[in-house]
Amino acid sequence: MKMLELKGVRKNFGGIRAVDSFSLDVAEGEIVGLIGPNGAGKSTLFNCVAGVFPPTAGEILFRGTKINNQKPWDLCRKGLARTFQIVKPFASRTVLYNVMVGAFATTDKRAEAEQRALEVLSRLHMEPQKNVRAGNLTIADRKRLEIARALATQPKLLLLDEVMAGLRPTEVDEMVAIIKRLREGGVTIFVIEHIMRAIMALSDRIAVLHFGAKIAEGPPQAIAHDERVIKAYLGEDYGAP
Amino acid sequence: MSPFLARNLSLVLVAAVAFGLPLVLRSPTYLHILILLYLYAYLTTSWNLVGGFAGVLPLGHATFVGIGAYTSTVLSLQYGISPWIGMLIGALLSALAGVIIGLPTFKMRGAYFALATIAFAEGIRVMLENIEYLGPLRLNGPRGLQIPPLKTGMAHFMFAEKEPYYYIILSLLTGVLALTWFVSRSKLGYYLVAGGEEPEAAQALGVNVARAKLIAMAMSSFLTAFAGTFWAQFTLYIHPKSVMSLDISFEIAFIALIGGRGSIAGPVLGALLLRPVSDFSRIYFGSTLPGLHLIIFGVVLILVMLYQPRGLQEPLTRMYLRVLDRLKTRGEAAA
Repeated sequence: MKMLELKGVRKNFGGIRAVDSFSLDVAEGEIVGLIGPNGAGKSTLFNCVAGVFPPTAGEILFRGTKINNQKPWDLCRKGLARTFQIVKPFASRTVLYNVMVGAFATTDKRAEAEQRALEVLSRLHMEPQKNVRAGNLTIADRKRLEIARALATQPKLLLLDEVMAGLRPTEVDEMVAIIKRLREGGVTIFVIEHIMRAIMALSDRIAVLHFGAKIAEGPPQAIAHDERVIKAYLGEDYGAP
Repeated sequence: MSPFLARNLSLVLVAAVAFGLPLVLRSPTYLHILILLYLYAYLTTSWNLVGGFAGVLPLGHATFVGIGAYTSTVLSLQYGISPWIGMLIGALLSALAGVIIGLPTFKMRGAYFALATIAFAEGIRVMLENIEYLGPLRLNGPRGLQIPPLKTGMAHFMFAEKEPYYYIILSLLTGVLALTWFVSRSKLGYYLVAGGEEPEAAQALGVNVARAKLIAMAMSSFLTAFAGTFWAQFTLYIHPKSVMSLDISFEIAFIALIGGRGSIAGPVLGALLLRPVSDFSRIYFGSTLPGLHLIIFGVVLILVMLYQPRGLQEPLTRMYLRVLDRLKTRGEAAA
């Protein structure tokens, strides 16, 4: 079953075309990576999918239904969760409180929300920090908190926007392991990442975005050797002769 | 003693003192001051549902006081409807007004929201000052309405002594505090805090921020209108300046900011601190230095914002928790 289908998605901001006729399928249980140089339109694409703004043209289907004009909170309750590139914790509240906000997406009962939040925290090894104020966390823990909150909403599809940026190499390895375990738990994952080592280790398939258009798609090894991808990242001079 | 027991015991103790006070304190002046203190604690706690939890700064809550006061008064003067029923109708109208004001203004952030609520409140007050008759309803414009003290008793919400008013406002305050405690632990409370701190993140987590704020606004304006009816029945004379002026809205905000927005104890602490300042400065300096209390409020606000930006409740809560903690360790040592 297809979890997510993007068909000719386009997004204009005034005269600027941020994403141009982008098509991609994400199957259930897959981890698909999205890479591209800064400003390629990756986050814009994520925002279209997550309902922050509707695409100018094209279709977005989530589990077979069109979601072009749906709001973020409705999509979240249907099982589409996302994290933010720039983390946005509820800084004055505890870690547990933050995760409980996510857990309330699928329950009205406080006790149930608390229990689910604790489960998610223990899955991400954050239980010891549950009473720490989110504003006092390290950057690595804040990124993990972003994931924990999103997971607490019980998503079927999780959009991860650069959850590894700014982490130390050991922390990156930890995060890769966590994300792989999420997939084993039945969550489909669509991930934007700049750290090549991480995205290569994680993804089943990678799509490359350059100036808003998809220039390549395929398994990690093929992408790493793709002529157009190397040129996009390093410039014309560095392509193989 | 277990901390759980200690916490409940201290709450019961505070309530007992508050409810027993009129038995000892016979002076009507002091009762009057206390009634105003509770009234402002009540107003600020109602305000806190929006202004505290939802993280916005509404500065037009006097509108809802006015709607409550005018509705119950007009209904009782012209149609002989008991102020208790008028109070409920006023609250419903006020909730409706709250939603109507909230719909466009919640789209704005920060200072723009605050300014928009001031504009609404002032607009409605000026309109009221220029309306003699609203259809069949006599509002008397700037002269306001006087309630003749003919029939006293519970059914008429009118009393010769201060004590009944004291108990009514204290009960209202207790009720609204309990409601706040309940909301702060509910899904709505979590959603309000989340939407107030990081709206985008909250929306991505399934929170319809605008809806949560509107619900809070409806509750807040509903409850605020009760205070309007109480004020009308307590003073027996209302006019646009007395129930709808910006001073009321500002004093609520002062109390909330100094006591601590978004906490349960904050509004009560703020009222405990600021109301006496305002009353005593009016009693002793009312003729020589009118408005002195506002200068004092300003200075206190600056100091609090500099040293305790989350309000006075923060250090006090910390002290209280430390005492509870000590009781706990002592209890464990004894056992």
